Amino acid sequence: MLVLRRRVGEAILLGNDIEIEVLEISRSRVKLGLRAPGNVPVIRKETVAVAAENQMASNLMASRGEEGLAGLMQLLHHPTASRGPAAGGPV
Amino acid sequence: MTDTATGILSPYLGELEWAPGCELQFPAGLPGFEDQRRMVPVEIPSQRPLIYLQSAEKAGVCFLALPVLTICPDFDLRLSEEDRSLLEFDQFALADNECPALGTDVLCLALLVPSGPTVKTNLDAPIVINLHNGRGIQAIAPRASAGSYRLNKSGGWEAIC
Repeated sequence: MLVLRRRVGEAILLGNDIEIEVLEISRSRVKLGLRAPGNVPVIRKETVAVAAENQMASNLMASRGEEGLAGLMQLLHHPTASRGPAAGGPV
Repeated sequence: MTDTATGILSPYLGELEWAPGCELQFPAGLPGFEDQRRMVPVEIPSQRPLIYLQSAEKAGVCFLALPVLTICPDFDLRLSEEDRSLLEFDQFALADNECPALGTDVLCLALLVPSGPTVKTNLDAPIVINLHNGRGIQAIAPRASAGSYRLNKSGGWEAIC
């Protein structure tokens, strides 16, 4: 890993068109400013794992089928619904 | 369906319709689903406290979730400055200046993820919904803190690494 020391107001360039500037440093955090072309995705690293989890979460009902879901409901101590759903109710 | 209602045919929940005000707005979508900005919470009374989060834009996208406090009663919500801004908490007076109150200011949900024969959930990435305006985000902690839990065979939740 390349390690650089920078102060507030200083920046680094990745290639010709991605710039990362140190905006603010506090005791345990650093605030960075990024300039990059619109087609360059900028995401926090921890988001990648959550995106994969979310894909799995969206497959939960499809992968379990009705019986599997009924078993899951049972496990959660909530019997399978006998009534229809109500959208947009109080949450 | 009424003139003002919106609807979708969910492969999991059947035909749903709702008034526009019932939709939750996710300005950034969810990681992996950045284009899904409108979600509808669906509760089935006999399945409470389970909540379905059905996409209002894509019928096949639907999540199962539980309020985090039903999994971890000691859960402590932490929101970054960016999260608070996305939820527009700067525009609402809070009971506590430091942190929105669960159940009063925010609904905090844990998405259920398949895990073998059961499910698990990551409490470091809860869905947080501002109850004052219906805006939602997935608040991802930069470092593991609350941790993940798996539903065990007896129906309890156990912490996993």
